[in-house]
Amino acid sequence: MKDVTIFLKKEGLEVWRTKRLILILTVFVLFGLISPLIAILTPEILSSFGSELNITLPEPTSLDSWMQFYKNLTQIGIYILAVFFCGSVNGEIRKGSLVNLVTKGLNRSAIISSKFIMMMILSLSAILLSFFITAIYTAVYFPDNDSPHIVAGLIPFLVFVVFFSAIILLGSTLFDGSMASLLFTIGVIIVLYLVNIVEPLQAYNPIQLIGENLSLVEGTMELKALGLAIASSLLLAVTAYLFSMKLMNKKKL
Amino acid sequence: MNTEIPPFILDNWLLFLPILLIQLTLMATALVHVIRHDHYRIGNRAIWIALIVFVQIVGPVLYFVFGKEEDE
Repeated sequence: MKDVTIFLKKEGLEVWRTKRLILILTVFVLFGLISPLIAILTPEILSSFGSELNITLPEPTSLDSWMQFYKNLTQIGIYILAVFFCGSVNGEIRKGSLVNLVTKGLNRSAIISSKFIMMMILSLSAILLSFFITAIYTAVYFPDNDSPHIVAGLIPFLVFVVFFSAIILLGSTLFDGSMASLLFTIGVIIVLYLVNIVEPLQAYNPIQLIGENLSLVEGTMELKALGLAIASSLLLAVTAYLFSMKLMNKKKL
Repeated sequence: MNTEIPPFILDNWLLFLPILLIQLTLMATALVHVIRHDHYRIGNRAIWIALIVFVQIVGPVLYFVFGKEEDE
């Protein structure tokens, strides 16, 4: 446990000094701002195509804003996180910076644990920041009651991010190159999307956690319905984490 | 050339302004870094400049993560 705190301090200093912290927060602030903006602009843009398109556009609602938010974060945001963290373990091994620490007695599992904790702290705080910005702007620009359960919509996404971080961690421990680990992470997501076609497995699929957010926000679906997917995601996350630890113990530094 | 700012941009400046500022800052810092350095981990200067200028948000992020050399 002491090893974990020591290594976490080093990790914290690293994201600060390499300016990664600022970069990641900036990007997610942007996502938070862009979502309500796109919701406001979509009808404007469509109507600028001229009046020959005789479609009546409904006024954008707060639900459109949240739709953009989840679209941006689940289709671009999480991959940016993957890009950020795909070199977290293998980059360190490549640089050889772990040799000294491990020979001086730093526990190898502590390295994996601290990396995982740091990854989760950064990802979750970036997403929460983005969520609050979208929430504020949505409340200001769309003062309606269409999206009553914004927190319920966010919870499964946060659980998914924990799962996703564990996959990134596993990828970066499994492969020596950051590109390979990035592809591994993307590959896992593709596999999950494919598995989602098989109906009996759907309820357990972590991908469910980033597909139903809007129904949750709207209130047409209850958080309970995702219980199985949440449980299986957390289970898979723990498995990936333990597996990474096992791999790390055997890894040549 | 008469470029009029569409009214909906003026109406929503509270949203536009921060986005514009953040995106430009991100792009500018990445561009300055690319131009000041000769060596990149992967790619070359032309590729990075094109990516940073034309791919919003993702371009600069990719540069800082993959292009920028680590020790300086």
